[in-house]
Amino acid sequence: MGDNHNTHVKWVVGFLTMAAILGLIVKKVLVPEGFGTYGHYRAGAILDEFNRETRHMTNDSCLSCHPFIKEMHLEGIHRTVSCEFCHGPYGDHIRNGKKVATLPVKKGEEITALCLRCHNQIIRARPKESIKMITMPDHLENKKVQTDHNCDQCHNVHAPLMYVKQAREMMHMSSREDK
Amino acid sequence: MDRIRAEINNDRRAFIKKVLNGTIAGSLLLVIPAGASEVAEQLSGMRAEQSIFTKKRFAFIVDVTRCIGCGSCCVADKLEYNVPDGNYRTWVERYIIDDEDNVYVDSPDGGLGGYVEPRKDIPHPVRDTFFVPKLCNMCKKPSCVQVCPVGATFQTEDGFVLIDKERCVGCGYCIQACPYSVRFLNPETKTADKCTWCYHRVRKGLLPACVNVCPVGARKFGDLDDHESEVYKILHLPHVVSVLKPGMGNKPALHYVGLRREVV
Ligand code: HEC
Ligand code: HEC
Ligand code: HEC
Ligand code: HEC
Repeated sequence: MGDNHNTHVKWVVGFLTMAAILGLIVKKVLVPEGFGTYGHYRAGAILDEFNRETRHMTNDSCLSCHPFIKEMHLEGIHRTVSCEFCHGPYGDHIRNGKKVATLPVKKGEEITALCLRCHNQIIRARPKESIKMITMPDHLENKKVQTDHNCDQCHNVHAPLMYVKQAREMMHMSSREDK
Repeated sequence: MDRIRAEINNDRRAFIKKVLNGTIAGSLLLVIPAGASEVAEQLSGMRAEQSIFTKKRFAFIVDVTRCIGCGSCCVADKLEYNVPDGNYRTWVERYIIDDEDNVYVDSPDGGLGGYVEPRKDIPHPVRDTFFVPKLCNMCKKPSCVQVCPVGATFQTEDGFVLIDKERCVGCGYCIQACPYSVRFLNPETKTADKCTWCYHRVRKGLLPACVNVCPVGARKFGDLDDHESEVYKILHLPHVVSVLKPGMGNKPALHYVGLRREVV
């Protein structure tokens, strides 16, 4: 009887020890390095997120290599519009400070589509305080040109009022009041 | 700096381990790689921050009264993160309210292609129409973190709710739990994914990509402890400021200026 009881105890103790060891192994395998250092998560995950590639830079980042555009863009009314929105991210163009690939440059109708994305009056949800809008084809008809004119034929894409101002200056020599 | 950088390259794992154990002086963790520093710092003092958690209180403000629905933010976000088609870390919704108070909301392709067509299916005259950009609310009490069974989604001490791609098992509980539906299952990694407020950029002193490209200043990001910051001024001067679904009790750090009550 006593013998039997002892074997039982041995079995139970043995089983618990095995379970504990197994638990430790499982924990070792399943719980990764750094888990719990700062909370219920893997500390290295913060570093993974930190190390993500930065694909966009800023408008400033483009200017040192594009001095001609810099002059127009900074002085023009489009200075708040992102170079990278119209052209694509820095990361697709520059690597380690050098040009590694070309960025797409829009032409003709693509340009008109791009401009209308922001300036089309037909989308009424746009606040007038943010942006001036035009109605098509009225804008072109008012100017007495054919309606297949693209926006860049009268507006410099990087400084859209540049030509308009120049034309006004030529018309009545001085346009200080609308500068 | 050079020594540390070489060390990272030689043996990143060992390096991380040392850093995590705090054996490198000052528990230096985040070393800004070359490249980012060629561009002027946009968030002052961030490049000097090398400890794992900053002492800053970040806030994101969306000004609904300025948004023109151009979708620059959506394009930048997709390209910054190579987000698979059909998934959106940030998106722009168009609200239309007619004079019978019916509310119509649409967001074709998340606003990625901009809004080129007016809606033609509104039966009554339009009373009010506006755009609402959406992104992670960075809740101070995030329900997504609470429900994650494996500790793959977590909140840093400086308030960023992030996802550990290595831990995530793609169970989708967090996607269900998010009151703002900002989470999705990334079909490429098969893990949960969402907006991070560009943690990787912010820690390198750059503004989130969407904030940088917004042409009308409808998205603002900054530190609430910096009393010169735009976000501080907006939140502390009289403005109509609100958060989405305040009743959920998640306490979002994302605030909206000029939000109409129809917006959910
Ligand atoms: C509103 C959209 C828009 C913005 C903003 C913009 N660009 Fe452009 N850019 C264009 C378009 C469209 C063209 C092609 C037509 C043209 O040159 O008139 C172009 C042309 C260029 C070209 C010349 C390409 C060639 O081969 O002729 C360069 C370089 C350039 N942009 C750089 C920049 C830089 C740098 C910035 C920011 C400072 C910038 N762009 C901002 C739309 C834009
Ligand atoms: C390290 C210098 C450098 C930087 C920084 C740089 N570019 Fe360029 N980029 C060049 C060179 C070189 C060319 C080719 C010659 C040219 O057109 O001026 C070029 C050409 C371009 C073109 C014409 C198409 C092409 O790829 O050939 C565009 C558009 C352009 N850059 C836009 C940008 C934008 C937007 C940025 C900022 C995100 C930028 N660049 C930053 C050097 C630079
Ligand atoms: C990403 C949105 C965006 C795109 C694309 C864009 N613009 Fe603009 N544009 C703006 C904003 C915003 C302003 C107003 C800036 C301000 O007032 O500070 C503006 C201003 C202007 C103005 C001056 C309006 C005034 O105040 O008199 C003209 C003209 C203009 N844009 C033409 C164009 C043309 C042409 C194109 C296509 C090449 C274009 N825009 C593309 C956002 C955009
Ligand atoms: C034939 C030349 C011409 C073409 C083509 C043209 N514009 Fe204009 N645009 C002008 C002139 C000139 C002005 C100056 C204000 C005025 O007279 O309306 C102007 C003004 C604007 C303004 C400011 C409107 C305001 O309320 O002040 C915007 C926005 C604009 N244009 C966008 C565009 C877009 C987008 C396109 C292409 C679809 C385009 N323009 C094509 C000549 C042109």
